[in-house]
Amino acid sequence: MEKLSIVESVLDNLPVAVFAKDATNDFRFILWNKKQEEVTTIRAEKAVGKNDYDLFSQESADYFRSVDKAVIKRGSLMKVPEEIIETKNGREVHLRTVKIPVHDEETGRLLVVGISEDITEQVKSREQLERLNRHLVQANQELQYTQMQLIQAEKLESIGRLAAGVAHEVKNPLALLLLGVDYLSQGIVPDDPNLEKILQQMRGAVERADRIVRGLVDFSSQRSLSREPTQLSRVVDEVLLLVKHELTRSNTKVNVRMEKDLPHVFLDMSKFEQVLINLIINAVHAVHAMGGVESRLIKIRARSESLEEVVKNQGARKREVFRSGDRVVILEIIDNGHGIAPADVNRLFDPFFTTKATGVGTGLGLSVARRIVELHGGELTLENRSKEPGAVARLILPTKLETSKVRTLTGRVKVGSPPKEIDTGATELTS
Amino acid sequence: MARKILLVDDEAGFTELLKMNLERSGAFEVRIENDSTKAVAAAREFSPDAILLDVVMPGMDGGDVQAQLQANPLLARIPVVMLTALVDSTELSEGAVAQAGTQMVLPKPVNLPLLLRVLDEIAPAA
Repeated sequence: MEKLSIVESVLDNLPVAVFAKDATNDFRFILWNKKQEEVTTIRAEKAVGKNDYDLFSQESADYFRSVDKAVIKRGSLMKVPEEIIETKNGREVHLRTVKIPVHDEETGRLLVVGISEDITEQVKSREQLERLNRHLVQANQELQYTQMQLIQAEKLESIGRLAAGVAHEVKNPLALLLLGVDYLSQGIVPDDPNLEKILQQMRGAVERADRIVRGLVDFSSQRSLSREPTQLSRVVDEVLLLVKHELTRSNTKVNVRMEKDLPHVFLDMSKFEQVLINLIINAVHAVHAMGGVESRLIKIRARSESLEEVVKNQGARKREVFRSGDRVVILEIIDNGHGIAPADVNRLFDPFFTTKATGVGTGLGLSVARRIVELHGGELTLENRSKEPGAVARLILPTKLETSKVRTLTGRVKVGSPPKEIDTGATELTS
Repeated sequence: MARKILLVDDEAGFTELLKMNLERSGAFEVRIENDSTKAVAAAREFSPDAILLDVVMPGMDGGDVQAQLQANPLLARIPVVMLTALVDSTELSEGAVAQAGTQMVLPKPVNLPLLLRVLDEIAPAA
């Protein structure tokens, strides 16, 4: 007797719900502990002697019965990771249950013993977490979308600035074409030695106009970020074509020296051109303000280095962006202009910070440029030259796609529903 | 006798075709200078009846060339026609062209009959 009361005492003080049903007597309950009372809101005296159909809805009872029968049939323990019961007052309780078939040798009865853990709070926090995560993913998508819009807005601004120059560059081949037409329309003399030369020039003019117009259209395109292995020299050539007019007008010489056999970098041409155009136009403004027409010079340099060299040369914080042993390409745009004023050094990349007159720049150029470079897994810095006057813009670009970072990101957002494909292409976004 | 025209423009193709067009009738002898920094020296050497001068050129722009021509008593009287592909009229009025007091500005692409009429007016055949 005493022995039994100890067992009952233990059962009633367990933090889990315990019940037993008699499979040989229509699965009627023979045991119903305190925690089971709490979870189901049904008192033991009301439950013992009844079966699931007396206590729960038809649907729930059908479910419990099918599990009980399966446990008996299998003759071994069965785990139900999550089941939901609805209490009389309409509350949903989430349970993690283990059901065990027990053969009571004394009475010869076949029992189903159940032990249930109330996991309602856990489930609720999990759902809450999932909900928060979904919001976070959505907010992140919206942020990425806004960033892409900002990048495009800044691009349109720079197209506006370049348009006059590009038109000028197109008008020159047009002028040449018209002169060709004028010449030919005066009559064609078969032996005229000029004819071949004229046709050759006209063909060249069409190709030139086509190239610059296509360059501008490619640059203007609003696409999601799509990175392809690209030769840096090709981007530099395209960009110099688009800014040729600004360079000529400001009498600025450009000296390009790029290391031979530079590894490919993964670039979105159109977005990366935006960065280079911005940096070159900035350099043009800086050298222009200096006067001294003869010496206005922008140097463009590219070389490839291993990460160790980068760390040694640029400081250890690069470790955050690149992994040890990474091969990177370093592109520098070096001008001999007025340099960066000490007061401005820390604000250069702040949005809306500008040292230019109203209307000349929005102050978004550099902040957007840095963002674009970061979307490429790279880094953009700007500083004064150490020995000579002028500034140097330095881009460090990875030569591999940073796949591991992409994996980390998708892993993090996977808690809820799988992230939808986002057309901002920001899977590379790592911040 | 053919009238002498000095053509200063960094666009080699353009200058070549304009020269062919002008020389075809035999009315003109054209000398090309693609390097604007040598334009004044070329003018001194060639003594043209008129100068066709591009505006946007590397090294020295059309306005600077014009100013140097003006500063030289021997060259100041040579009529100058500016040729430009600049599209923004404010760039022209605020820029080098207005400062240099050029007689004539023609847009590129060049309307050849108009250019010939202008040349007849500023540098008439003897």
